[in-house]
Parts: sequence; structure tokens; C-alpha cells
Amino acid sequence: MISEEYRGAQQWSRNKQAVFTVVWISFLCAAVGTMIFFAMFDPVDLTQVFDEDLAVGRDAGYAAGFFFFWFLTLCCAGLTAFLVRTAPKRDVQHRKADE
Amino acid sequence: MSKPQAASMYESAQKIYPREIDGRFEKLSKLATITLLGLFYGVAWLQWNGRQAFLFDLPERKFYLLGMTLWPQDFPYLALLLIIAALTLFFFTALAGRLWCGFACPQTVWTEIFIWIEQLTEGTRSQRMKLDKAPWSFNKLRRKFSKQFLWITFSMWTGFTFVGYFTPIRELGMDIVALNVGGWTLFWGLFYGFATYGNAGYMREQVCKYMCPYARFQSAMFDKDTLIISYDRGRGEPRGGRKRSVDHKAEGLGDCIDCTMCVQVCPTGIDIRDGLQYECIACAACIDACDSVMDRMNYPRGLVRYTTEHAMQNKETHVIRPRMLVYATLLMILIGGLITSMAMRTPIILDVIRDRNALYRELPRDIVENSYTIKLINQRNEERRFRLAVTGVDGIRLDGVDDILVVEGGGVMNLPLRVRAPRNTARGVSRIDFTATALDGVPESVVEDSRFIGPAQ
Repeated sequence: MISEEYRGAQQWSRNKQAVFTVVWISFLCAAVGTMIFFAMFDPVDLTQVFDEDLAVGRDAGYAAGFFFFWFLTLCCAGLTAFLVRTAPKRDVQHRKADE
Repeated sequence: MSKPQAASMYESAQKIYPREIDGRFEKLSKLATITLLGLFYGVAWLQWNGRQAFLFDLPERKFYLLGMTLWPQDFPYLALLLIIAALTLFFFTALAGRLWCGFACPQTVWTEIFIWIEQLTEGTRSQRMKLDKAPWSFNKLRRKFSKQFLWITFSMWTGFTFVGYFTPIRELGMDIVALNVGGWTLFWGLFYGFATYGNAGYMREQVCKYMCPYARFQSAMFDKDTLIISYDRGRGEPRGGRKRSVDHKAEGLGDCIDCTMCVQVCPTGIDIRDGLQYECIACAACIDACDSVMDRMNYPRGLVRYTTEHAMQNKETHVIRPRMLVYATLLMILIGGLITSMAMRTPIILDVIRDRNALYRELPRDIVENSYTIKLINQRNEERRFRLAVTGVDGIRLDGVDDILVVEGGGVMNLPLRVRAPRNTARGVSRIDFTATALDGVPESVVEDSRFIGPAQ
């Protein structure tokens, strides 16, 4: 039956779901973080604080800031997803023992 | 006990081949797609007073919206605007379900275009399935190549337009023609283009099913009066195939002929007849499909239709209900607040930084002096003249400042200055106010406070 061929067939594997969700959600959070951060700080001013010689333009500053945020949010979301996905399934064992 | 179905979870994803459909909602969806994409690709090119009408100029750190110029200091407006957008989404979700998902979400809209390109190059659903199974031939290569070519070209155009909202698009266009695009501009253009290609070409509704947070929590905004797409179980069941000539009611059959058209057209691959499911993005393709079948069978339309849970239970549907009133009130307050604050916004920014190197300096004749750096920003696009004053302590006055400060349009003036006050009135720490008053145009002024420090005794 077509409906069966249709459904079930198009499920992403749990790992694929986890990877894409982690990448996408961390991207969104990083975007929000970047927006708020650079609304308050000008990358040009920041580079002067850290190192006068580090004369990067604003666009490079924005990019660096964004990837920094994305790296952090990726770590956070990725580790959370990893721990949730790989947690020992105690409930299943209990249920098996009960049967 | 049923056997666990865990194994199917690990099955690799197969391609979905949504079936093309024609109908009322398909037309509506096409209209929405054309309008929204038209806006996205068109608005970037609009000019306003010799400047791009909508430009979020990140390199310059200024946002141009029609005649208005917003500065990083105006960020609260943007935040407020985003909150209003979210609340509007909640309002319409409570009212009419996932209208956003089915007709306005960029994911849906771009997927629509990419599917259209796919149909243009590879044909109908059955032709596409056959083509994918077929061995490589010139015909297959040609069709696949033209699909990829159109997809990639469209994605690149999308990326270019996206970047064009952040750097002036006309100059950007010239730069591209001259092959002289800045590194980061090129990177973000390709980045956005690639994301469009992947999302709309391949991931499609999987994004809605697995990656969209809104899809998961929109049910929190639903109630029994929310417009949803639903299958009329009472009318349809028991479902089953039959000949057109047969009187199905006499046979004990419902109106559903179990043709599975509603399942075939579903972009998320669910069966609407199983009830409301979170995968349903309310694209209404199943309504169109079912209506066309009902027409052919000479049954009344609306076996699958827009309705509410209350209507399904033959109860009254209430449009106005506490939830709607709460959302509406909040929206009104926020929109009113935004408009008022934007109308009352003075296009002058005054920042005062007290020099921290010295607490104070004692001058002859019992005068105490503090140093400050003033930052005066003129947010208007034309030059303006200002007068600076200081108050808060008896006998306090500015030193080393011109009577009239001229700041160019969109300019920032950094001004180191000294403030002097008699020793006997300025003991300890006093709060003082700096006032910048515009001398031309609308009379307006801004006040910024700081501290003046004098000797303790």
C-alpha cells in the first residue's frame, strides 16, 4: 500500500536527527548571540583593546565573533545531544527484567 | 504485547516524491510564494532618496529603513520588533493554526520553488520515481544536470540577494561583474546560497519535522477553537474502495474511498486520517486532493477540510476567547509602545565618560576641575548645531568648549572637555547633568548624567 511505502520510509535516523538539530539550533542561538553582542560592541573597538596591530576589518570581526559563538553553542548542544543519545537505557532493562 | 518497532527508527531516509496537485489552496500557496519571494528579491533593489531603501549596513553599523537611520544604540527597537513578530505568530497560530508553516515560512516557500524546478526538469511524481530507478542515460543526465543547474543558479542568486541586504546591493552587483568581491561578502553569499540549496532541495519538510522548535511547541497555542486541517471521521468511515455507480451508504461504507491521494500529496508523508499530528504543516494539499476526488465521485467536498475541534464535535466555535484577548492585548501594548517610542525618539545621542585618571584637580582661587570625554552623535542625515551645558552644582561651568558645536549628518563628535566648579559648592561627589540642545530644526535636547568629584572637606 502506498501509504505504508510513504510513511516510515522517510524517517531520518536518530543520529541524523541529532546532528542536524544540533547544527541548526546552535546556529540560531549563535546568530542571536552575535546580534546582541555586536549591537553593543564594535569589532573595530574590540581589536584595539586586544591588540593594536590586529587591524582586521569589521566584516572579519563579525565573522570571527559569529564563529566563536557558533563553536560554543555547537559544543553545548552537541554534548547535550550526545549524552542524551548515549545514556544507559535503564528503563528498558527494568522492563525486560520484569517480564 | 506488540513487538517493539525500534528497528524502523534506524532505517535510512528515503526520498519523498510529493505528488503535484491543483486546487484552491495550491493556488493560494502559489500566490503566497510569488508574493513573498517577489518581496525578498525585489525590495533589495528599491531606492529611497538616493540610497538603498532597506539596508542593514553592517560595515557602517547603521540600519537604513526608508527615510529612517537606526544606530546600534537603537537595538532595543529591533528587539521589541522581534518580540512583536513572535507574538503575532502566536496570535495567528491560536486563531488559524499553522498558517505560517503552510504558506509563509521561508522553508516552505523556497521548497515550493525548488519542487517547481524539479517538476519542470524531471517531470511528474511518477516520472521522477521512474527516472531515479532508471540506469544512467543521456536523457537522465540531461534532466539531472538541468535541475542542478537551475537549483544552483537560483541558490546563488538567493545568497547574493541576502548579502545585498547587508552591503549595498548595487555596488555588490558591480563588484560581482568585475570579479572583485570582498572575501567575507563572498563567503556569506555562498554560505546562504548553499543553505538554501540544502534546505529547499534536499531536506525540505524534514526540517519541519526534526529541526524546527516552533513545530514542536505550537501545540501549546492550540485549543479546541483553533483552525486545523481535519478528516471528518464520522462522514468518512468505514472507508473502502467502491465503484462510482454503487450506493455506498447502502453498502455500509463512508465517504472515504481510501484512494490514499491525501497521503500521496502530503509533503511530510503523514496520513491526515489518523488525526492531528505534529508533522502536519497545514499546507492544505490533502484538502485539494480530497476535494478533487470528492468532485469525481459526486460527493460533497470537505471530507478533509479546515475546521476546528469544536466544530467537529458539532459544538460552537468561538473566535473571541480569553487566549485571543490576551495575545491581542499584549500585541496592542507592544505595538503602541514601539510606535510611541519611535515617534518620540530624539535623533541625538549624548555619552559622557568621566576621566578616571584623576579624581579632581585643584586650581587657584578655590576652583575644582574634573575632566570628561563627551561623545555627541547626530543621527539625522543633515548637519546640525548644538549647544552643550552642564548643571547640578552651584557655579558649575564648562571649560574649553565652543559655544556652538557643529556635527555633520550621521556624524560622531568626540570632545575632551573640563568642568569647573567653586570648591565650597562641590564637596564630595555630586551628580551633574550634561545637556545637548539642538539649535536648528525641531528644538530638542538630550540629557546625560555623570558625577563631579571635589575634595571631601
